[in-house]
Amino acid sequence: MSVVDSAVEKATDNPVVNKEDLPLLLVLPGLFVFLAFMLFPVMYLVYLSFTNAEPATLFQGKEQWVGLANYVTVLTDGQFWNSMWVTWLFVATSVALKVLVGIGVGLVVTGARVRGKRLMRALIIIPLGLPGIFTITIWRGIFSSAEFGLANQLLRSAGLGSVAWLSERWMAFIAYNVTEAWLAYPFMVIITVSALQDVSEELHEAAMIDGAGFFARFLHVTLPSIKRPVLFASILTAAASFQQFLIPYVFNQGGPSRTNELLIVYGYREAFRFQKYGEGAAIMLVAVLVIGAFMMLNVWKGRLADGVDDA
Amino acid sequence: MSVLSDIAAEVGDDVRAAARAPVESLKDARYTLEGIREGRVSAASVLKTAGITAGAVVVVALLLFPLYWVAVGAFSGTGASLYSSSGIRLWPAEPTIEPFLWVIGDLILPSYRITVGLGGYELFLQTPELAFLDVSDYGVTETSNFKEFFVNSLTVAIPTVILAMCLIVPGAYALSRRQFIGRSKVLYGYVLFTQIGGGLGVALLIALYALFVQFGFNDNKLALSAYYAATAVPFNTWLLKTYMDGIPVSYEEAAMMDGAPSWKIVTEIILPLSKAGLATVFIFTFLTGWTEFVVAQTLLSTDNYTLPVGLYSLVGRYSIPWARFSAFALTFAAPIMLIYLFAQRYIEGGLSFGGMEG
Repeated sequence: MSVVDSAVEKATDNPVVNKEDLPLLLVLPGLFVFLAFMLFPVMYLVYLSFTNAEPATLFQGKEQWVGLANYVTVLTDGQFWNSMWVTWLFVATSVALKVLVGIGVGLVVTGARVRGKRLMRALIIIPLGLPGIFTITIWRGIFSSAEFGLANQLLRSAGLGSVAWLSERWMAFIAYNVTEAWLAYPFMVIITVSALQDVSEELHEAAMIDGAGFFARFLHVTLPSIKRPVLFASILTAAASFQQFLIPYVFNQGGPSRTNELLIVYGYREAFRFQKYGEGAAIMLVAVLVIGAFMMLNVWKGRLADGVDDA
Repeated sequence: MSVLSDIAAEVGDDVRAAARAPVESLKDARYTLEGIREGRVSAASVLKTAGITAGAVVVVALLLFPLYWVAVGAFSGTGASLYSSSGIRLWPAEPTIEPFLWVIGDLILPSYRITVGLGGYELFLQTPELAFLDVSDYGVTETSNFKEFFVNSLTVAIPTVILAMCLIVPGAYALSRRQFIGRSKVLYGYVLFTQIGGGLGVALLIALYALFVQFGFNDNKLALSAYYAATAVPFNTWLLKTYMDGIPVSYEEAAMMDGAPSWKIVTEIILPLSKAGLATVFIFTFLTGWTEFVVAQTLLSTDNYTLPVGLYSLVGRYSIPWARFSAFALTFAAPIMLIYLFAQRYIEGGLSFGGMEG
């Protein structure tokens, strides 16, 4: 128990500490409440996933242990694999879109010839301060098929026909992506801007003297220097995309006819719409395991939790 | 109260800076023009700068256009959508505040009758009816449930803040200033959760709902507050801890030399010096309860709907015109956005690692 030993050693060294582990009592209430509302439900979710729980049985305590039956049902269900596929496709397309928008806007608001950059940066991150449900219901209005729908107004003024955004599969998918990109671009811009400000000015000047144009400099000077922070932001935002629930749920419940149910929406609807708590729990756990594995891989490879050790 | 006066001062600075901005830019422009005339600056370079800046302004405007579009919608007359031409409108048709009157509804304090019995006599006091706003004066007959949702949101958010502060502040202090068994494990767990656990809420919803129902807590706003406070613990504890780390230990050492007991060091030094961090945590925890949607929607019944759930309940109701919907959404989101905009610098102060000033 070297961790404990070193902690005790530090504690006895430190003159500020009076009684060694008494401060633990200050942390415990928060930790206890947190675990009560997080760890306990996780354990209960695991239990539910092994039962045939549904509202009629569960709330009378009559749910029955069914072993791995829920997992077998879920993993052999075409609906599940469709959700899994759509979810990863959504992660890929939305992350690509977010990175593009983030770097593009980041370059615009750090441009050497742009005046009023500070004001622009303050304005541009406004969406970060908006409640998610507000943003998403508003974007649902934008993609509405009704007269006021902004997306169709744009199409019509460009001379194109209207699109039934929320009742066609791929149109709905595009709508999800655009909305997700708008939700997440402030985060990407903040990361990109702070990375761009660290790009060495000397390298740029040297490249300019060598006659490199804007794009050559972007490709060979800017991009290599901002690669790591942007990669880090992409991983975090990929996790957010994977767990996206509100956009499909508010837009069209993952429709039309369940084609766009991202994994979490699928689990939610199996449980609350179709009353299959056990299957829903199994789906959620599979989703958590998948995203957990994805994040672990990134923590392990990209040292995501850097900075904890010296905290 | 010094936090409030600080915030007021910052807001004042911002307003003054904003008011002075046009004057300053005009000065800059005149200076540049002079430079061109005297040949110090080349006109081509100025034109290039102006062109690129204009391009940047267009990009920013396009990104924020959805928000402007909502505002235009909210100020449009409800009749406008019926006979609108299908183009993009940059200015509200038939500008009106009728949608907002529909959202807010009557602001009337009814009259109360206070009766005091005095041995056979009855003394009573009738308070006058205070009508701040009677929307029927403006031709709005039915109104939204905004006020009910608002009160529900308050009764959820206030206990959330109180409970969360009670849990977070001691924990953050201990993690920042003391050494004890498992300290680094707790910290590591908190940081890991804030980075990857954000979406766990929906995944746990089934178990959470089943548990709440079995304990008889569903539709209980206080239980919902406890849940919000619990989810707010990891991130905010870590945030406040990093803020407290920035307060120099030398202050405490000096106080200890003078023989101050450790509780006094906390109340006299640590807490006053971390007021920006405390304000940040206060805002974050308040907004947790104020803006959360999914869990609230699953656990609460119609009577207890908070504002986000109330907003969602209007989605897709064809009896509610778009103007009224966007007015409702804006009334919900605009104060949060303003707090965010004004507090941004203050929050950044809380997020960075200051502490020497003050």
